[in-house]
Amino acid sequence: MTVVTPTPAGAMVETHGLSKRYGDNITAVDRLDMVVRRGEVYGFLGPNGAGKTTTLRMLLGLIRPTAGSAVVAGAEPGSPASLERVGAIVETPAFYPYLSGRDNLRLLATYCGVPFARVESALGQVELLPRAGHRFSTYSLGMKQRLGIAAALIKEPELLILDEPTNGLDPQGMADVRGLIVELGKGDRTVLVSSHLLGEVEQMCTRIGVIQKGKFIAEGTIDELRGAATLTVRAEPAETAMKVLAGVAGAENVRVVDGGAYSVKVDLARTAEINRMLVQAGADVTELTSRERSLEDVFIELTGAEAGL
Amino acid sequence: MRAFSGEMFKTVRRPAVWVCILVLLAIAVTIGYGLPWIVETYPPAGASRGLPEGTTLADLKVSLYPSNFVRQTLQQWASLGGVFTLIIGVLLQGSEYGWSTVKTLFTQRDGRLVMLAGKFGALAVVVLVAVLALFGVDAVSSAVAALLDGKSLDFPGVGDIAKGVAAMYLIFAFWAVFGVVLATLFRQSAMAIGLGLAYALVIEGIIFGVVGALAPDTVNPVRQWFPVTNAGYLAQSFGRVSIRGINEPAPYADATHAVLVLLAYVVGFGAITAWLVRRRDVTS
Repeated sequence: MTVVTPTPAGAMVETHGLSKRYGDNITAVDRLDMVVRRGEVYGFLGPNGAGKTTTLRMLLGLIRPTAGSAVVAGAEPGSPASLERVGAIVETPAFYPYLSGRDNLRLLATYCGVPFARVESALGQVELLPRAGHRFSTYSLGMKQRLGIAAALIKEPELLILDEPTNGLDPQGMADVRGLIVELGKGDRTVLVSSHLLGEVEQMCTRIGVIQKGKFIAEGTIDELRGAATLTVRAEPAETAMKVLAGVAGAENVRVVDGGAYSVKVDLARTAEINRMLVQAGADVTELTSRERSLEDVFIELTGAEAGL
Repeated sequence: MRAFSGEMFKTVRRPAVWVCILVLLAIAVTIGYGLPWIVETYPPAGASRGLPEGTTLADLKVSLYPSNFVRQTLQQWASLGGVFTLIIGVLLQGSEYGWSTVKTLFTQRDGRLVMLAGKFGALAVVVLVAVLALFGVDAVSSAVAALLDGKSLDFPGVGDIAKGVAAMYLIFAFWAVFGVVLATLFRQSAMAIGLGLAYALVIEGIIFGVVGALAPDTVNPVRQWFPVTNAGYLAQSFGRVSIRGINEPAPYADATHAVLVLLAYVVGFGAITAWLVRRRDVTS
């Protein structure tokens, strides 16, 4: 049973120990603690089957957690107070095939108590007006996704929850949807978007949470997740080099890597200075290579998999 | 109210709902009036065989005239017509699972039970339309039969017609809610329709029909608590068309019993549906 706890100021989504188990053997989501702050585009990243969709369904009240709690837009997930402030797409957008795109949105506007004028505006936002009168069953996957985003927008929600919104789209469709999400995330609106595509998340999101096998394994901005850049240094004699590097970056930021080189976590702007200090200390520098970790490196490091790449 | 308006919005635009009602009306005209009138007006040779002495097929035509249209409608369509409202009930609920629109419904604004109440409200309207249309079509058909045969256009009183409409509404409502609960239980339409029909035909039709005829004293006390049987009791409570030489046995239970049992099923199935909708995870 979900117990509502007060949301800290500025948090649109907050979970505490949120878990979903199926029977004794399957743990889809395991004690998830996540905070999505107001106004950010939050990327919920993880390989296929990591528990992203289950988490988002719990945040929308579609699935009951077996343990833990969540507060979404200041209220219990799935409650009217929460739903009226949240727009969502969960997996493939689902609509009535015998209704046109416009009538599907009018139906949702009726359910939400929103004037029909919002429907035209939402259709315009996703550039679907020319096909709005056609039956949903005739829509391409890209059009269905765009209609799904329009449906999520008609309430003018404070929080958008989008579950893999670019799934199945061609490259142009993916680029369009990403651009749209970035636009939607400007201003006060909060966007929580799940994806298994690193590049996508990197392009759209201001902060990222990584989930694997139901467990939340990292959270932060892209820069925070990448961590400090590293400088690979190869110099002789080794003792002299170590002394200089430890003096510059701190001994805890220097480690020996393959072949006797040193990996130094340091601001790369200091590369020339380090080179000069090594030479002045009498060391022969044979290699000085800078390296910034990509989000892909971080993801593979964290998950041990190349999922979604 | 938002949920009801939304359900009405999509239900009135759904062709399958109107196809079901139109097929029911077409069958009511052809099988209920057209074919019987033709056969009883132009009987094939030997067609009166099996009828009581002195009774002809033409005597049966009295059931086609306006004075009998209420009981004729009830007795002919309490079960067969109910199947169409079962299908409508299944379609309105089962398609939400088939199209995965359950998740769309439950992420709008109102809670699950409010959305379900809206669906039941729309279903109630559709069933009312089906019942009124059926009585309307049968009334017109009976008038045509009387005019063709030069018989009286005496219709039952408004009170009798209203009672008939109310009885049929309760019967059709049972079938429709039965469809909704089956569709919710199985989260799909095909199995719900199949099992609904199998229940009506096999359990209440064949098993109770055959065993009941062989051992009525054993079967009837059990059978009187089953819904389709009570739909029959309620229809029969409006009386049989009187044809000389043909006597029908009185129903085992009276109309009050039938109404209470049917109401209990409507409420019970509605409550089961609500419990399932509220408790279950939406995973598709």
